[in-house]
Amino acid sequence: MFTIDFTGEYAAFFLFSAIMICGAVLMIMLEKVVHMVVSMAAVFLGLAGMFVLLEAEFVAFVQVLIYAGAISILMIFGIMMTKHQQAEQAPVKPLKETLAIIGSLSLFGLLFYAIRRTTFPEPLPFQPGEDNTMAIGMTLYTGYMIPFELLSVLLTVAFIGAIVMAKKEAD
Amino acid sequence: MGAWLSEPLTWGNALVMFLWGVVFLGIVLGFVTYAIYFERKVIGWMQLRIGPNRVGPFGLFQTVADILKLLVKEDTIPRKADRFLFILAPALAYVPAFSVLVVLPYTQNLYFADLNVGLLYYVALSGISTLAIVIGGWASNNKYALLGGMRSAAQMISYEVPLVISVVGVILLSGSLNLRDIVEAQAGGWFWNWNFLPQIIGFVVFIIAAVSELNRTPFDLPEAESELVAGYHVEYSGFRFAFFMLSEYVYVYAIAALTTVLFLGGWHAPAPFLDFVPGILWFLLKFACIVFFLFWIRATFPRIRVDQLMGLGWKVLLPVSLLNVFLTAVYLELFIKN
Repeated sequence: MFTIDFTGEYAAFFLFSAIMICGAVLMIMLEKVVHMVVSMAAVFLGLAGMFVLLEAEFVAFVQVLIYAGAISILMIFGIMMTKHQQAEQAPVKPLKETLAIIGSLSLFGLLFYAIRRTTFPEPLPFQPGEDNTMAIGMTLYTGYMIPFELLSVLLTVAFIGAIVMAKKEAD
Repeated sequence: MGAWLSEPLTWGNALVMFLWGVVFLGIVLGFVTYAIYFERKVIGWMQLRIGPNRVGPFGLFQTVADILKLLVKEDTIPRKADRFLFILAPALAYVPAFSVLVVLPYTQNLYFADLNVGLLYYVALSGISTLAIVIGGWASNNKYALLGGMRSAAQMISYEVPLVISVVGVILLSGSLNLRDIVEAQAGGWFWNWNFLPQIIGFVVFIIAAVSELNRTPFDLPEAESELVAGYHVEYSGFRFAFFMLSEYVYVYAIAALTTVLFLGGWHAPAPFLDFVPGILWFLLKFACIVFFLFWIRATFPRIRVDQLMGLGWKVLLPVSLLNVFLTAVYLELFIKN
């Protein structure tokens, strides 16, 4: 059932999984908001590592640039500008927590059982693209030209809208 | 180096790669030591002073003595600081600074990683240092440190945008994000084939944004000592402070090498009849010129005002760099494609 030949790729996979799972668990467990953001940045970095393992370097480094860099800093800014001195304590509810544990354990059991029982079709031999940045560009600007342009318009509208709203508040 | 990278990863190869990493770390530390020495000397001469001249012949061991002092100093952590983040921040600042160096090619055969998206890798990782600075400033639990960290983050984010957009022109011309391919695209014998002339707008924007990214004069507001005591690292001392300083100078190395690669033709000679000089010497010469240029700027410019800083970034550099992308695309469409 568990036949895994131990290569460098698996070692890296387990390392990144450990980083991501630890980061995700800490994100929920920690009490200070800034610590949460830092552990979430660890999850983003682990995810970027996973993309590198899948030979999607472009997506991996865009992940680092946007999520680990920009979004984390945005959140930290948001936290620092507002007041978060005391750690927030949630009241303990024993019944609710027991139910939550049972629910999540059974969900895990169900998913694990389903994944182990399914026979996946034999995958085609993996063909890494010669240059996946080029391939992404080609696809984006030929097949998905219209959705891409529409998305850019949407983002621009949102951007200008944010400025207008901030300006209204400042006046 | 190229052959080494494609071999299977055995313990022997891993050891060799690790040793290369250590050697390279030694080179970078040596560069930082003497960059600080030359910075103080050059600025001293430009301001009609002598500069460090006491420790060793011509003061050559001044930086070594300074580093030694930092290492043996007491390591203090303020009682009200956030202990975990306070310890994490200097390491988080240094790791990306050293990791970005891996994609920089020095000659045809001397490079550490041949990454398809080298430029993107550089930009993405250098963004993480900003995070470290903000965290360091916040964790110190000190008003000045927090102000310095905030300023630094705001500045680095605002100038990273024009920095990235200004190199899009270079990417368009060479058709690749791989730094080795970008250098190869500038081959052609004469120096006017290098990217800095065809991309003169991009080059100027890049230099200004790069100086600002490095937090150096005239953009050294995060550590404006007359207003902020010292900036985000007020509470840091000893070894941890040394790490912040170190990552700042490693970024000087990285930016100088990146400018050489992107705009000044990397290891190519400026004229065909100078080809007999080995490429690494050309690389080092251009690299040294840029490092000197950075010192020169620092010695001669006053500090920009904080309210002008954001205006310059968003209202001048960003539109100009966008215009550069547009002009380059039109040029390629009209003259090169047909």
